[in-house]
Amino acid sequence: MTLFAALASVIFAAMTKDTTRDRWLYGVKVFAEFMAIGLGLSWVLYFIP
Amino acid sequence: MVKTERIQADEFEATPGSAWLIGLAAWFIPGAGHLLLGRWVRAVLMGGAVWICFILGLQMGGHMYDLSTGQGWSTLLQVPPMIGNLGTGALYIVSWLLGVGFTEDPQQAARVTYEYGYIFLIIAGLLNYLTMLDAFDIAAGRKS
Repeated sequence: MTLFAALASVIFAAMTKDTTRDRWLYGVKVFAEFMAIGLGLSWVLYFIP
Repeated sequence: MVKTERIQADEFEATPGSAWLIGLAAWFIPGAGHLLLGRWVRAVLMGGAVWICFILGLQMGGHMYDLSTGQGWSTLLQVPPMIGNLGTGALYIVSWLLGVGFTEDPQQAARVTYEYGYIFLIIAGLLNYLTMLDAFDIAAGRKS
């Protein structure tokens, strides 16, 4: 999941933003969102039999 | 009405033929479209991510899809993941020709990383579609 989040956030950031600073900020944000949502969903599904 | 259509026609710029070729190159070899445009950083970042995703998928024992499996209508179930896999262009075609990633091996399917692998292979194709569209937009002058 971490690898997927890293690779996808690199492409999303390179595609959508124009300056290096914006790319970094957006990439880190997308990466964090992928991780947070992935971990959150994992815990939700953990309690569902 | 006629005036509106004329204004819309003036605003519409035809896509140059080179943009289609760049898009085709970007699909066929991940990163090639941006390389042809001289966008080295984007080529390395975006194309590199696709290549890494694809290689990791294969290393994890992932499986790619074609229309050879399935019976009757169930063959259609292979089409959506196959469209994802096809996004990697030459990587998919070469793997198909060499039989890499297409074998129906129970031991491979039993690997812990098998599910991750085939998802990575599909994601690689989908990410390359995005990369291709980015290269096409740059070549068509719709994006800086």
